[in-house]
Amino acid sequence: MRIVLEVSNLWKFFGKNPVLRGVSFSIREGETKVILGPSGAGKSTLLRCINLLIKPDRGSIVLDGEEVTAPGVNVAKVRSKIGFVFQHFNLFNHLTALENVMLGLIKVKGMNKSDAFKVARESLLSVGISEDLWSKYPAQLSGGQQQRVAIARAIAMSPRLVLFDEPTSALDPELIWEVLGVMEKLSKEGMTMIVVTHELGFAMKVADEVIFMDSGAVVESGPPEEVILRPKNERVRRFMERMQYVYSLK
Amino acid sequence: MSFDKLLDLVNSYGSLLLNGLLTSFYLTVSSYLIGFTLGVLISIARTYGPRLVKALCQAFVELTRGTPMLVQLFLIYYVLPRVGLTLDPLPAAIIAIGLNSAAYQSEYLRASMSSISYSQWEAALSIGLTKLQAVREVILPQSIRIAIPTLANELIYLFKYSSIAYFITVSELIYISKFIGSRTFLYVEVYSIIAVIYIAFSIAATEVFKFIERKIAIPGLRISTRL
Repeated sequence: MRIVLEVSNLWKFFGKNPVLRGVSFSIREGETKVILGPSGAGKSTLLRCINLLIKPDRGSIVLDGEEVTAPGVNVAKVRSKIGFVFQHFNLFNHLTALENVMLGLIKVKGMNKSDAFKVARESLLSVGISEDLWSKYPAQLSGGQQQRVAIARAIAMSPRLVLFDEPTSALDPELIWEVLGVMEKLSKEGMTMIVVTHELGFAMKVADEVIFMDSGAVVESGPPEEVILRPKNERVRRFMERMQYVYSLK
Repeated sequence: MSFDKLLDLVNSYGSLLLNGLLTSFYLTVSSYLIGFTLGVLISIARTYGPRLVKALCQAFVELTRGTPMLVQLFLIYYVLPRVGLTLDPLPAAIIAIGLNSAAYQSEYLRASMSSISYSQWEAALSIGLTKLQAVREVILPQSIRIAIPTLANELIYLFKYSSIAYFITVSELIYISKFIGSRTFLYVEVYSIIAVIYIAFSIAATEVFKFIERKIAIPGLRISTRL
């Protein structure tokens, strides 16, 4: 499978403080990568660099063979090819669920209303948002419903890949299940995905590769059963032991 | 002050007063709309514009807020003709008051824009909207809703303070009242009538804005309890 995204030696400083210290990885079409790591490891910053919400200081990002970190790149166009799902959903408060999904189709893709409606409809149905919820505003939806609409908004643009920034961290357990289910389905359908999460079960089940980050660098990467169950790195082992304590029923 | 005198006044000068009212009304609404349009542009420029544009807009706002509206009115009406731009009293007043209001309205809108969470901005950009589209489609529709009470305030304020156009002979309510007063010596009666007109306008404007606020309120979203 061809490479969709290649990140090479990415550095980012906030002031003098390095938040990303030479991160490199690549992702192939249809792959799902899960990024694990403690808070402050630079996971969110990495995702924001990939869709250029944050400008990296050094290194390069290549999307479908095009270097998007090069000067003069049409940033909005690049972003339209990369879906982003936020921890706090970030639906547009003044638009209905349906309008949230249609906005990008009309304004970015230049579709007319009826085409945009058809695409939005498919997207919403595919994440399990039924028609009675389409005219609801974000504040009238549950967290799980909001996040599923946000996923619909991202995939309606038919992006090359979708970035998930802790998509379930703001949800109750049952709603986590509902959102993870949608993500698992997306992954199975062949969507290319990079997921920052603490859901080890999801990582075990869905990830093709797990990347563990600490202090702005990748410290270990590999198949989920290796990194999660038999980590080589000392920092990763300590992290997994703590996760075991929090999540295991034993 | 007697009822008969009031009735007499209304009989003989009613149409004149009505003209004054219409002029005031026209003056207020025109300058308000100029102020709103420029205010929106200035607030966007000051929040999202390049540094030079930001600085220019800030200079405009500071100069306009920092000098009396009467001075601005005189500048436009009496000084501009010296550089070859002569305006009739009413357009001069509309421009002066409109520019003044733009400075204030831009600040109301800028405040409400900065109350919109940064995550709305990030989400707008993330789907591929340009900055300008993000402002127009996502930030502005939400911030205007928040600014409605202060925008109502501004309209009521303008209706009352547009009376300074009297100083450059615009025949608005105060001008007409002074005229009627000087003819009839019924100053108290005339001023009482226009006081009632001013209050009626203010109440009507409040109701209209309340209606708009309810009409475009976002269902389920209570601003005061929003994070």
